[in-house]
Amino acid sequence: MMTISKFRVGLWTAALLMIAASLRAVLGAPVEAQMGVVQKIVYLHVPSATATLLAFALTFAASIAYLATRAGIWDAVAASACEVGMVFATIVLVSGPLWARSAWNTWWTWEPRLTTFLILWVLYGGYHIVRSSVAESSKRTISSVLGIVLFVNLPIVWKSVEWWRGSLHPRSVTMTGEMRQTLLLSMAAWILFFAVVLWERLRLEMLQNAAEAAVREDYAGAAARREGIAR
Amino acid sequence: MIALDVFAKDLRLHARDARFLATLALFGLSLVLILSVAFGPLFRDPAREASATLWAALFFAGVLGLTRALDFESEAGGGEALRLTGADPFSVYVGKAAAGFLLMTALYALLLPCAAVFYDVGSLAVLPQAAGVAALALIGYAAWGTLFASLARGAKARELLLSILLFPTLIPLWIGAVKLTRALWADGSIDTVRDWVKIMVVVDLLGLTLAAWLYETIQESEA
Repeated sequence: MMTISKFRVGLWTAALLMIAASLRAVLGAPVEAQMGVVQKIVYLHVPSATATLLAFALTFAASIAYLATRAGIWDAVAASACEVGMVFATIVLVSGPLWARSAWNTWWTWEPRLTTFLILWVLYGGYHIVRSSVAESSKRTISSVLGIVLFVNLPIVWKSVEWWRGSLHPRSVTMTGEMRQTLLLSMAAWILFFAVVLWERLRLEMLQNAAEAAVREDYAGAAARREGIAR
Repeated sequence: MIALDVFAKDLRLHARDARFLATLALFGLSLVLILSVAFGPLFRDPAREASATLWAALFFAGVLGLTRALDFESEAGGGEALRLTGADPFSVYVGKAAAGFLLMTALYALLLPCAAVFYDVGSLAVLPQAAGVAALALIGYAAWGTLFASLARGAKARELLLSILLFPTLIPLWIGAVKLTRALWADGSIDTVRDWVKIMVVVDLLGLTLAAWLYETIQESEA
């Protein structure tokens, strides 16, 4: 496990990068001719979407690793990544309509990327509900299976702009000069921030697992002692 | 054939529970009725509204069938007994999914004429193609539904959980079924929306492939 000081170094680095990226987005990057300042949402929207996809891909990979090895750490990684991914996905869903209102003159439209992303958000929300609802003995396996099954939606979100007609999202974004550099800086800042938050969430998950295991051992010990006294 | 045995067993258990079958049929019919009243009495695009009503009613009512099929496993240690036989888990899955498919097909056969009559759409000429569309949609529904129902089996409020997981996953299947049925009822052919057939086939195959890979793991977790 990362020590607290290393975590703080990571957190401060991520925070400074986030501040630098935000300042550069607001003050440094040029204002786009057609959309005006609203276009700057892209420096928040795209990096958080990237972090979301990374998080859910990590959930998928860690779920496979858990089923293959049955090592508890992989289950913790999958659950933590999914939880952090939900936060970033929510940022995407909130920042998207702000962009849409200016670009498309509507807060929401049923176009492929928006719709598939909303479905993704609902499904991964379901992951957490299932995880907290099933029995402790089967929680890890069921969560891992779900982490694999739900991953099917990621390529659908990714490719939705190509597979369905009527998409308002561009198939690819080409940026140059200052805009491109700002976007790359924002991506680096958000991905580092994602990594740091994930690390902390993983540490908490491991602590929680250890505490629960200790409680179970205490109960088992107490039960054994009661049985001994009864004899 | 284990799959056939499980299929026959599930069908026998469904057939014995007349109250459940009546509830399922009435629930499906109520949904068709409510949606027809909501859209009517002057329909703007009857073929579209009728197909949306039909498939919404089927998908919602189907959740009852899926959870009931999994109840057979939890009741009186049926699932445990099935595991003790050493039966191949995927064969068990195929048997259960096939029984679910047949149950949904029966419900479709009941609701299709109701939707057609309430909205005054459809013709017997397109019935074979409509059956093909139904097969594509219901195979996917049974494949994914059985997989998700087995995942949610041990959970609290599993009907709600099943809905949360199943409906978003099946949206491509649902849209495909609605668009194809609408095209059949409005134009008499699916030529304009033929791409949806491919999407539905992919969703069906994906559900079956994931089940083939993961159903054994789900069963083991409950042992």
